[in-house]
Amino acid sequence: MNAPLLACEGISKRFGPVCANTGIDLAVHAGQVVALLGENGAGKSTLMSIIAGRYRPDEGTIRIDGQPVQFSSPAQAMQRGIGMVYQRFMLVDTLTAAENVLLAADACGRRLSMKQVVAHMRTLAERYGLHVDPAARIRDLSMGGRQRVEILKLLVQNARVLIFDEPTAVLAKPEVAGLFDVFRKLKADGRGILFITHKLDEVMEAADRIAILRRGRIVAGSEPGRINNKLELARLMVGREVVLRVDKPEMPAGEVVFEVHRLSATSPLGGFSDISFSVRKGEVFAIVGVAGNGQEALAAAVAGRTPASGGTIRYRGTAYSTAAWARHRPRALSYVPEDRHHTGSIGSMTLADNFFLTRLDKAGNGPWLDRSHMHEETEQAVRRFEIVAHSTRTPAGTLSGGNLQKLLLAREMADDPALFIAEQPTQGLDIKATEDVWSAMLAQRRHSAVLLVTGDLREALSLADRVAVMFRGRFMDIIDTQDADSVERIGLLMAGSTAAAPAAPSGETA
Amino acid sequence: MIRLEKRHTPLRHPNLLTLLLALATAFITGALVISAYGANPLTAYSLMLRGALGSGYGLAEVAVKAIPLTLTGLAVALAATMQLWNIGCEGQFVMGGIGATWAALYLAPFLPPWAVLPAVILCGAAAGCLWALIPAALKVWTDVSEILSTLLLNYVAIIIVEHLYFGPWRDPGGFGFPGTMTFPQQAMLPRLFGMRIHAGILLALAATAALAVMLGRSKWGYATRVMGAGPRAARYAGMNVGRNILLVMGISGALAGLAGMGEVSAIHYRLQEGFASGYGFDGIIVACLASMQPLRVPACAALLGVFLVGGEQLSSFMQLPASISRILEGALLFGFLLGETVQRYHIRFTPAAAAGNTDA
Repeated sequence: MNAPLLACEGISKRFGPVCANTGIDLAVHAGQVVALLGENGAGKSTLMSIIAGRYRPDEGTIRIDGQPVQFSSPAQAMQRGIGMVYQRFMLVDTLTAAENVLLAADACGRRLSMKQVVAHMRTLAERYGLHVDPAARIRDLSMGGRQRVEILKLLVQNARVLIFDEPTAVLAKPEVAGLFDVFRKLKADGRGILFITHKLDEVMEAADRIAILRRGRIVAGSEPGRINNKLELARLMVGREVVLRVDKPEMPAGEVVFEVHRLSATSPLGGFSDISFSVRKGEVFAIVGVAGNGQEALAAAVAGRTPASGGTIRYRGTAYSTAAWARHRPRALSYVPEDRHHTGSIGSMTLADNFFLTRLDKAGNGPWLDRSHMHEETEQAVRRFEIVAHSTRTPAGTLSGGNLQKLLLAREMADDPALFIAEQPTQGLDIKATEDVWSAMLAQRRHSAVLLVTGDLREALSLADRVAVMFRGRFMDIIDTQDADSVERIGLLMAGSTAAAPAAPSGETA
Repeated sequence: MIRLEKRHTPLRHPNLLTLLLALATAFITGALVISAYGANPLTAYSLMLRGALGSGYGLAEVAVKAIPLTLTGLAVALAATMQLWNIGCEGQFVMGGIGATWAALYLAPFLPPWAVLPAVILCGAAAGCLWALIPAALKVWTDVSEILSTLLLNYVAIIIVEHLYFGPWRDPGGFGFPGTMTFPQQAMLPRLFGMRIHAGILLALAATAALAVMLGRSKWGYATRVMGAGPRAARYAGMNVGRNILLVMGISGALAGLAGMGEVSAIHYRLQEGFASGYGFDGIIVACLASMQPLRVPACAALLGVFLVGGEQLSSFMQLPASISRILEGALLFGFLLGETVQRYHIRFTPAAAAGNTDA
């Protein structure tokens, strides 16, 4: 076989005491799609960044067509034909697609005229199905459109190896199919593709080869055909048998802790109206819906972040107006927000500091902080929740997503709140962290009523006793997860279909 | 072509490096300017050093400059902890001087002698505080950027103080000199060791210790740091950000006001022309050099004091303009900014030609 387009040999990279990559060998041949799998924190992003010229490896060689190369910048990697599409697109929103492509080429030292760029984009669009209006502004494009501009940026510069960091995370279903179609055409043209993903079915569908990273090492490389099923793949990733299964012991439902009646609000997040439900101690109540159907605004109102405009809230037998609730809430409930990086924590402050963010009153006597007590209590939480961290003095920003989320859960569960609210608690987490978060939430039922707001149906069904389906700001229905027939309808309800069932007028069905 | 690339591994001693870079930049720039005047930079620097550090008098003068610089440096550093940019220390310094002068000249006659000095100190701090509360209130209730409002209010304060010593507060027996009457004895802040160094140094050091302890060890300090480092997290945690903006800016202004109070009641003994001499603006440089850490502020203030006192030597003994010390200060700040950049980026020089080669 010819020398591979791209070969990594013995790549290692350390960040301080952390070995992000250890002795990694990886090859991408012409006409091949390689999927790179691994949990969060397994070292995928570091490896991609090394290949794309953002980091320099401490050890090891990168070869292109068999020739060893060294990059000191992404631009140099691009000049040698290696380009990357980052998960967060690197586009200037206010410029047009063609201007962005021109800008990228310019940054790599290729001087093109706008005419050349547009012509180039047209040809490439024909050849690979990358249809984008060159004159469209980025901010007006869909996520898929933006991604196509990113790909065009690379192709205009003759990229031969294209690296994608979780390319499907931002795409809607039909767009994913479109992307894989582009992959096939690029492949047929003799280019190589390397893509990072969490989603096992995508690997089975799109990849010719699979490389699995665990703790900075390649633990397995294989062809999808040799792997029998997703379970096996998942096991290779996590390195143990338990996969996506959560033990949910029966828990007797206790008293009603939290109740809302005819809650409504208008908000830039989408608003909602006529929402009524209640949650009991020992119960998980989930609110599901496709993003943008009002569940974000509902979560904000229930958590007291923004007062709802109408309705009443009852908490442990006391009724609150919506405004009073917004004032009362910091002491009443625990809330794990969706944005764990900027809202739920402060990256530059230590683990111990973050552990007391919402419970400053527990951080010491009177007006003073008790540092040793803070570190001690954080240390205990770190052990109990198996958070992987250097020490309680490291900045929270250095934690992986899963470990950070566990720290947030530990904090919000620390004082045994009567009501525990979690919003998208496992978004972007790997399998192991997801499992940990799920079991922690189920265990929390012992002390709390648990309210889960999620877009992940699997999560809702694994955890919840009852699921409210939200569509266009209203509850379509509240479904008991023990009732198999009703569960079937959830997908339809999420899509707003009332054909299968009349929209229950947001009633309490329990 | 110069390109900046983000660093991924932090430097080992970033703040020390920044300080050294700042000093190096200042010395090199200063050397160029001094040479342009036909003088030998090394002679000039050794003169500056000897003038500032070579005698008890010089050291005392450094301390005299370091007192207001410490207070304004703390004022800037405290506000910056909450990501507030108090560029208005000069104005708050001036208002502090006005407040102290008012207490010394117009309130003192109604007070028992022992109460005069405390009243002078309090009125100085209060005037600076109130002046800083204007931009704070604008920020909290109307979302006006404090950077602009504090900066612009400096000029308003300077016009007010000019109006006072040229107009209603001018000493009738002062032969037309723009300044107020001399303070009564009880309103003077005591000087130490028979030199110009004064009791304000105790205030400055006490303020340093108090701020360091409050920011590092109290729940209020914790909350303030949270609001600076993660504003969204602060709102999530239910912290009252608006109230703390008022509090922090108020304290910040009071510190700058104290600096102005010290100048009128221990150095000039009156409010007079030339009172707004830039200590407020220099506080920004001090706070930057101190990386916004209160405990480092006095040392950085002293460093700047050396520059200022040394600069005066240049004009006395080498007939160089005293403003060279201002140039050094400016270069110091530029060097600091350069250091900040070096902390976060690799600076690479690439020949412009190389970029064009790859056109296929």
